[in-house]
Amino acid sequence: MFFKPGIIALFLSSFLISGMVLYASFSGALILRYWDIHSGSETQLRLERKTYLISTILGYAFVFQLFSFFLFIYTADTLHPFFTGAMCAVGSLNVNQWGFPLIMLKIITFLLAGLWLIINFTDNRGYDYPLIKAKYLLLLAMAPLILTEAVIQAKYFLGLNPEVITSCCGSLFTADTKGVPAEIISLPRPVMEIMFYGAMIGTLTLGGVFYRTGTMGYAFAAAVLLTLLVSIASFISFISIYFYELPTHHCPFCILQKEYGYIGYCLYLLLLVGGLAGMGAGLLMPFRQIPSLKETLPSMQRHLTLTSIISYLLFTGIATYQIIFSNLKM
Amino acid sequence: MIELQHLRKVFNAGWPNEYVAIHDLNLEIAAHQVTVLTGPSGSGKTTVLSLLGCMARPTAGRIMLGEREITSLPERFLTQIRRTTFGFIFQQFNLIRGITVLENVMLPAYPLGEPLGGLKKRALNLLDLLNLASKAAAKVEWLSGGEAQRTAIARALVNNPGVIIADEPTAHLDTGLSREFLDIMRDFKGQGKTILIASHDPMVHDSEIVDRVVRMRDGRIIDAGVF
Repeated sequence: MFFKPGIIALFLSSFLISGMVLYASFSGALILRYWDIHSGSETQLRLERKTYLISTILGYAFVFQLFSFFLFIYTADTLHPFFTGAMCAVGSLNVNQWGFPLIMLKIITFLLAGLWLIINFTDNRGYDYPLIKAKYLLLLAMAPLILTEAVIQAKYFLGLNPEVITSCCGSLFTADTKGVPAEIISLPRPVMEIMFYGAMIGTLTLGGVFYRTGTMGYAFAAAVLLTLLVSIASFISFISIYFYELPTHHCPFCILQKEYGYIGYCLYLLLLVGGLAGMGAGLLMPFRQIPSLKETLPSMQRHLTLTSIISYLLFTGIATYQIIFSNLKM
Repeated sequence: MIELQHLRKVFNAGWPNEYVAIHDLNLEIAAHQVTVLTGPSGSGKTTVLSLLGCMARPTAGRIMLGEREITSLPERFLTQIRRTTFGFIFQQFNLIRGITVLENVMLPAYPLGEPLGGLKKRALNLLDLLNLASKAAAKVEWLSGGEAQRTAIARALVNNPGVIIADEPTAHLDTGLSREFLDIMRDFKGQGKTILIASHDPMVHDSEIVDRVVRMRDGRIIDAGVF
């Protein structure tokens, strides 16, 4: 166990968030079971007061959950000097078997926490708690993931052994090994370029259509998710090498380091915010006909769509700028 | 029409000092009329007014304001209704010392964000209506009891509410000022306002402007009056 501020903060926050999620899930189960807005019973009125408190507390908890993803990758990056063979966060994550499952789980909970916040914000815009059941159903689905993440995170940090000789990005993100990264790197570059720019253009076009007409919302949300995955793959495949100015270096974590101006944080933030906002806009589609949301929902969806479009445009802009002006010419 | 359905209010629920202020109360209050809740101290008059005015939430039961149920509303919607539907006149007036009469009157309208010019004009009109125009620039601590009360009335009306709620409005007034208050309420009744007064002052509930007297005791209605 390393006593680093980041690790302690992550431990404490996961402990607090897990506690809040457990309590909220219990109350959520009661709400799902007993909620009846037409009743004036003592139980119903108590649930109405309770949901106000719970959603406020959970709102803060999930905002921190979003931040904790970036704190985790920063902490993993700062830990690498303690392990022989580690050059970046990949080495730290490879120290034991929990590192990579943990970061995958953190990406999933990041997206789910963001979507929950969008649903909660929307629910608070309606006078009759229109999304209360959807909100707590999502919470109940998230609870096991959040708790598992806390356990895996504890196992990961408690299992950090400085005696371990780890392997780093040079051996993992190369075409010579097996696994998903190697397959991505092995893909022909023109194919990946077409996929990346094609997905971006398609998504931005659908976003524009949805922003202007309010139609194609589901298609836009699906395109946003697809583009998020394609962008991550494209970053590993061909965008990263222009930042590193090394044709063989495909690591998605070294970009988080000071040598590259911490630009990785900006790129990942843009991708995740763009993905979240776009998926959030799609997630709200089924609720457009709810009377108490009819006036506010289209405007919220437009804001989310615009956020998604701008984030993806900025990501594409930064990546393209680097490809054009990098010292690496291919 | 305001309808109270099976209203119950418990303070300190689950604690040794639990107190049931309102027991399963049902009441319909007609619009554009003056209704007085009367009864001894502790009978639940003020609690009913605070529940009805969205200043507190019931433990059980619902309140219908016209077609809309208001007890289930999230706080942000409740605040909006409180600001625009109800005008409150408190027993202690609750004027803010250190600022002028005009500023006190305009205060409840500030969160609504309307242009200051229009608001100021409306507040001055109200003060004029209540014979307080000459005191607009005076600090409230300089006012007499009657002037302070009229300022409180003007403040309650600045957002042009449909319902005026007054809690023991004549408790600190002499006979002349109490009569003046009732005359003002008569005018507002004439304008179509719904007026709800909690008072155990006979001068109020015996007044000819009152359409209905609801008698309460121990958190229950013992006489719902003529509807």
